[in-house]
Amino acid sequence: MSKKRVALYFIIMTGLTLLFVCVSTGLGSVRIPAVQVLKILLGGRTGEVESNIIFHIRMPRALAAILLGGALALSGYILQTFFQNPVVGPFVLGISSGAKLTVALAMIASLKMGRAMDLKTMVLASFAGSVFAMTFVLLISLRVRSMSVLVVCGIMIGYLCSAITDFAVTFADDSDIVNLHNWSMGSLSGVKWDELRVILVIVLFCLLISGFLVKPMSAYRLGEVYARSAGVNVILLRVMLILVSCLLAACVTAFAGPISFVGIAIPHLVRSLLKTDAPHIMIPAGFLGGALVTLLCDVIARTVFAPTEVSISSVTAVLLVPVVILMLIGRSRKRVKA
Amino acid sequence: MSGENGLSTRQLKIGYDTDLVRDITMEVRPGRLVTLIGPNGCGKTTLLMTLTGALKKRGGLVFLDGVDLSSLKPDETAEKMSVVMTDRVRPELMTCREVVELGRYPYTGRFGVLSGHDREVVREAMAWAEVTDLASRFFQNLSDGQRQRVMLARAVCQEPEILVLDEPTSFLDIRHKLNILEKVVSLVREKNIAVLMSIHELEIAMRISDHVVALGEGRILKAGPPEEIFREDFIRKLYRIEGMDAGILGGKFWFDPVKEESSRRIIPERSKERRPKVLMIQGTMSGAGKSLITAGLCRIFAGDGYRVAPFKSQNMALNSCVTEEGLEMGRAQVMQAECAGIKPLAEMNPILLKPTDDRGSQLIIRGEVVGNMSASEYFRRKAGYKETILAAYERLCRIADVIIVEGAGSPVELNLKKDDIVNMGLAEMLDAPVLLVGDIDRGGIFAQLLGTLDLLEADERKRVKGLLVNKFRGDETLFENGVRILEERGHTKVVGVIPHLPLRFDDEDSLSDRFKNTRIKSFNIAVIRFPHISNFTDLNPFEQIGEVSVRFVTSPEEVKDPDLIVLPGSKNTIEDLRWMKEVCLADTVRKEAKKGKVIFGICGGYQMLGRRILDPAHTECGGEEAGLSLLPVDTVLGTEKIRRAYTGRIANAGGILHALKGLPAEGYEIHMGRTTPYEDVMEFTSGKTGYCKEQIYGCYIHGIFDKREIAETTILAIAKERGKEIRTAELEDYAAFKESQYDLLASKLRSCLDMKYIRAVMGFEDDD
Repeated sequence: MSKKRVALYFIIMTGLTLLFVCVSTGLGSVRIPAVQVLKILLGGRTGEVESNIIFHIRMPRALAAILLGGALALSGYILQTFFQNPVVGPFVLGISSGAKLTVALAMIASLKMGRAMDLKTMVLASFAGSVFAMTFVLLISLRVRSMSVLVVCGIMIGYLCSAITDFAVTFADDSDIVNLHNWSMGSLSGVKWDELRVILVIVLFCLLISGFLVKPMSAYRLGEVYARSAGVNVILLRVMLILVSCLLAACVTAFAGPISFVGIAIPHLVRSLLKTDAPHIMIPAGFLGGALVTLLCDVIARTVFAPTEVSISSVTAVLLVPVVILMLIGRSRKRVKA
Repeated sequence: MSGENGLSTRQLKIGYDTDLVRDITMEVRPGRLVTLIGPNGCGKTTLLMTLTGALKKRGGLVFLDGVDLSSLKPDETAEKMSVVMTDRVRPELMTCREVVELGRYPYTGRFGVLSGHDREVVREAMAWAEVTDLASRFFQNLSDGQRQRVMLARAVCQEPEILVLDEPTSFLDIRHKLNILEKVVSLVREKNIAVLMSIHELEIAMRISDHVVALGEGRILKAGPPEEIFREDFIRKLYRIEGMDAGILGGKFWFDPVKEESSRRIIPERSKERRPKVLMIQGTMSGAGKSLITAGLCRIFAGDGYRVAPFKSQNMALNSCVTEEGLEMGRAQVMQAECAGIKPLAEMNPILLKPTDDRGSQLIIRGEVVGNMSASEYFRRKAGYKETILAAYERLCRIADVIIVEGAGSPVELNLKKDDIVNMGLAEMLDAPVLLVGDIDRGGIFAQLLGTLDLLEADERKRVKGLLVNKFRGDETLFENGVRILEERGHTKVVGVIPHLPLRFDDEDSLSDRFKNTRIKSFNIAVIRFPHISNFTDLNPFEQIGEVSVRFVTSPEEVKDPDLIVLPGSKNTIEDLRWMKEVCLADTVRKEAKKGKVIFGICGGYQMLGRRILDPAHTECGGEEAGLSLLPVDTVLGTEKIRRAYTGRIANAGGILHALKGLPAEGYEIHMGRTTPYEDVMEFTSGKTGYCKEQIYGCYIHGIFDKREIAETTILAIAKERGKEIRTAELEDYAAFKESQYDLLASKLRSCLDMKYIRAVMGFEDDD
């Protein structure tokens, strides 16, 4: 692990993220030139409309992309540490789908009662769903040691949850179903400042906890037996890892719907770029990577087929699935070699 | 006592869902290599997993250093025990250095940031395991042998007392096998670590084990020394190969009943008979003469052709020395080692306390400064040092046939007796017979000896095998009656009445008689007697010259027109400097310097001769203190203690002592400061260890006068300047002088001690 490489990574990634914030706030159905964007961002008011668009629509959206993208990558990295397998992520393991299911059910229930769902309920429902799905995955992982079986089971759970969600949606008879459908496809549109505040609190909290987990996580890389012999309280660590990753995945799902493949592909990309898997570097670096890629994908989702918006999940899938496939091929080749 | 160290089990039951092995009762002690053998699936790995806490036991108890393992938190266990298992861990993109650094896990803070010390330990462990060049390679890309070495480095980094290894040599070629085994054995023999190791290769197990545990049929089938286990019938039964031809495997799996009995082990363990003979000398009070008698006995046994080592578990003294390895130890043990004719080792004095003020001491363990500790804190924690003491003693056992142990103070300081580790407590730990010394010169010999015996517990009293009456003046026949009374009333033999010996030695206690010397002879050396004076034996060589007086002075009135003023070492330079100013000795020294007198500063005294002493790191009391400004140097006290043996020469010398120039100098340095000149000044001792200007000489070298040439030149040059005539013919190299004194001591002791009885007490057979 070279310090220069790491420093360079952080500088470039931060620069790119800032650049894309500007791009993201500038692009859209109302195109605002870059110079103007900068002026508005730096406090110079140029026209009510533009600054409204930027401050109330595009800026929260860009920030949400950053926070949620980072959260996804972090969640994925933590899960990969937990399972000691780089091919897992919140989406693959069905955690996102579990969250989606409970949020959908909660949404329908609250619509039935005739009122919109508040933020708290949504986050809680989402968290409950993700923990529920994770519990399933864990139960299976206790039984079978094989990672491929685990991943397949995760995907199955994902499908199962999606099926139940679809089922519920089909029989829910309200025009707001359209909303629900949009949400379940995954989208960052319409994120408001007060939602952003909740996201910020959750994500910062999780980042803080992860900071405290850096030491045991690094010992856990050598496996459970060595971690324990080095003095790690393995059970506590595992519980913390699960809770943090679930909370992160749940937060993303609650506010943006399931966004696929960021959690699995980004840690892998960052790892290969930095040539290290040390948690104290991977946590911030993965977060930054997830933030940038999600921001980029969101811009693409909004602009490529404008005025129609594509679901962000489609964009992430198109961009990141090849990465995952290449990774799988690379790993199997390595295994043959070894 | 020591029986509690290490790992042990009582009726342990292990297994996953059902009992795989029951009734496991075994022990792994420090310095022992225990191997675990048995057929595949017999539960070896399961047992190791259970012992390390990775698997829940199904019943029974596991003890780590006498504490129930299940009551310990993982981090508490981690500081004592580390493991190398067979699972093939393949962490992604993890460098070997990162892997080894994880061994420091129990010692780092919340975020796992490594301290300088941690990095040092990691570096050493990697060098030891020969994986330094793999440091930045990825662990996943290593070969099996390299990987095993890295894991071993990781385990050693954890600084465990117990190391658990699961088939460490499987999958390795013979070179790597040898390499790993060599390292494991060195851990056991040199670092006194307890090792439990499962192994399939019987031919190895039978050669390296101290103890073998054979698992089979769901229990410990047999446990014992290798020669009991590796018998053809048992091994055949254990592995169920009765009647099969094992020759096809090409190895040797059991001892040939006749031939191999003697040559079987590559590392012979010291058998019971080869344990060194040990004798302990305790006194009725400090200054009763224990050190000298111990020294004399060392010389006597050394003269008889044994390898002898002195030992004193804990020493409270101001005077210390530096061993060749740069470790610090008490002066008395150095002297005793010299008597024994072996190199001084820090193990001979594992705990050294150097008083810094009335309540606190600097604590030095195995020669390294650990920190300052108050007397009460030390008393509370001293039981914890048992292990340190025993480990040091064990190391001496490996190099000596005879160990003479010295006690400290009186064994019946009843208020301090709890957890004793210096007198009877130590005697019990080492199972040593004791001789009790009383000092008749100070009077009350009967009260001393009989009183002490009376205050001992019954079992302790049994350890006292003899009494010694020391420092007797006059006709010994007059004391025959006294001996009879002592033997009758004390029910203990008097093994010797030792006359007052007019010997001149390096002694250790600040209670030294030397301080009382007030006689001024024709050559007058005044040594400033600091309240925190230390290493004041530097002047002892001058005592060989009859016309020279060495006086320790505490006030200007006592100085009295000296020929030479010496500022000796100090344990607390700044405070002593302030003291010197308060009692006006500082002015006196300056005045004498102005008159052209020779002023010689050693170590702390040298620092005081400079312009100022800075203490930014609060090594002593912090701040800055102006020195005597006789030498243009400044001293900065630091936290790092400099300890090293010194060999150099007098680089340059001006003034009266210019004749010293070019003479070879030897000695040692112990100090916590660095002294640098701030203007051009003459280097005195080479290596920037001292400077001089006109008649002012300062250096860090303790023992500089031990060389005859230097001592003699100093005296003669000053005498010539002062118009005196001093004969220095008696003067010899202090080392040679000491040797002759040691021989004198030994011959005197031999003539008045009942050596035959002492030898019998120590367990010597007549033909030994």
